[in-house]
Amino acid sequence: MEENKHTLLHYLMLLPGVGFILMFIGSSIFLTLAQSFGLFSITGRSAFTLSNWAAIIQARESVDSLMFSLKMGILSSIGTVLFAFPLALFFRKGGAGKGMLGSIIKVPLFIPALVAAFLIVNLISYHGLVNSVLLRLNIIQQPMRMLNDRFGWGVVFIQIWKNLPFVLLILMASIASIRDDTIDAAKNLGAGYWSILFRIFVPLAMPGILVSMILMFIKAFGDFPIFSVAGPIYPAAISVRMHIMATLYQEWDQAAVLGVIIIVTTFFVIWAYSRFAELVQGEE
Amino acid sequence: MRVRAEQQKTPLHVLQERRRRRFYLMLTLFFVIVQLIWVGIPILMAVMWSLVDPKNPWSFPNMFPPSFSFAQWEYVFKYTNIARALRTSYSIAPLAVLLSFVLSLPTDYIMGRKKIPGKKIFMLVVLLPIIMPGMVVALFLSRVFANFGLSQSFFGLVLAHTLMGMPYMIRVLTTSFQSIPQDVIDAAENLGATTFVKIKDIFLPMIRPGLLAGMIFAFIVSIEEFNLTFIIGTPTFETIPTILFSFMGYNFIRTNASVVALIMMTPNIIMLFVVERFLKSDYLAASLGKM
Repeated sequence: MEENKHTLLHYLMLLPGVGFILMFIGSSIFLTLAQSFGLFSITGRSAFTLSNWAAIIQARESVDSLMFSLKMGILSSIGTVLFAFPLALFFRKGGAGKGMLGSIIKVPLFIPALVAAFLIVNLISYHGLVNSVLLRLNIIQQPMRMLNDRFGWGVVFIQIWKNLPFVLLILMASIASIRDDTIDAAKNLGAGYWSILFRIFVPLAMPGILVSMILMFIKAFGDFPIFSVAGPIYPAAISVRMHIMATLYQEWDQAAVLGVIIIVTTFFVIWAYSRFAELVQGEE
Repeated sequence: MRVRAEQQKTPLHVLQERRRRRFYLMLTLFFVIVQLIWVGIPILMAVMWSLVDPKNPWSFPNMFPPSFSFAQWEYVFKYTNIARALRTSYSIAPLAVLLSFVLSLPTDYIMGRKKIPGKKIFMLVVLLPIIMPGMVVALFLSRVFANFGLSQSFFGLVLAHTLMGMPYMIRVLTTSFQSIPQDVIDAAENLGATTFVKIKDIFLPMIRPGLLAGMIFAFIVSIEEFNLTFIIGTPTFETIPTILFSFMGYNFIRTNASVVALIMMTPNIIMLFVVERFLKSDYLAASLGKM
């Protein structure tokens, strides 16, 4: 009874926090959706139309851009987790010098994404450090193209470098909750290193792995600055294409269509993730 | 004699323990070296590029610049807006942190301590600024801001940065409020504690570690926020990220960009070593571990 009386007051107290976020994000989602159908248009007349959608869907560039962004999102999320997982396992056990190692590893977390992009560009550009060293060592005869390359390795590399500590922090917490007893029991029953890794650590850390993968995907898929610095000229990432569409061509309505596609894809991936997480947790 | 006798008696598990410890030390050393290269070399390259002497340019076959000078630093401070951008960045960030703390506090308290219907959905809504692709929000929020006369204004930028830092603040502080044992509050109430005393002696001390972590996250987010600042603030207001972006776009000037990059990351790295002990992984994991 007491609770019910307060509920309205409680909801009102949510206004400055949740309400603030909902107002700004909600209005921008609404505007994106409305403009993609030609409503609330800032250029030209406002009237309901499907022509923007038709124009975007028919353009070959849109499909290429979407596929490229998806590819970058998936590769970045898998790559970061693959790099971070062994480190997280290592951090589970104490040892001398771990504190210092932890500080060094966290440095990229504090380096802004754009700076990280610049730092890595110095390494992987056509005449950058990696190519110079490999040429000196006679491992390659010609400098390799790693920046603004067609495939997007430069983007993936920057994403991994920048987000490794972020993912590591999440993975470390989920691995720390695995108890020694479980591992000792497995050892007593004759489990080797590999089966401990794949049948205890990986399944028990799965919620953490999934969350970090999804957060990485969202970051890498919707990113703008890293794509525009290190991404290929063609296909441009979908967020870059949307920005060009709006600011360079002043086709705000078509940019809105691209925006809706980005939002829908992101939400779809999150939904798929939450279904998968339920599935994984159901097995326990 | 006694020493040798003890050595002979050393049981097997002690030896194994020693061997294990040595193995871990070697492994730590290995990871430290790998990380020093992984993190150190990119930073070292930027330092070298920022010290290139314009009279003796550094070009491809040379592994190191032929001579060093501070000419690039002088140039950047003399002819670009970096000083003003630094001021803008570091005046927006504390305001945004403060505003996101004040605005989120009631939410944190309710979400952490009260049972209300729909809490799960609210926790998801809170994550929207992180989930939503930055450029989409930036482009279309700029239209909303323009309607309210907030675009190209300092207050608009503070609001935008507050919005981006809020998810971290709310998630971390909600977890902090949740972890206060109800017994403590009940005991205080039984002993006649007023609301003011409860806030001063229970809530504030117990959420302090979380508050620090949340403030650090919000601060970092504000310092490196690019999308919204780029769309809403440029060209009236430039922050360090937007200046750096302008050096990396059509006219890519590597030496200037490295100066700006170093200016941008040095305070952050100093902050890392100052605040590292507050930045326990449990906060981030507890706040973002569940969607």
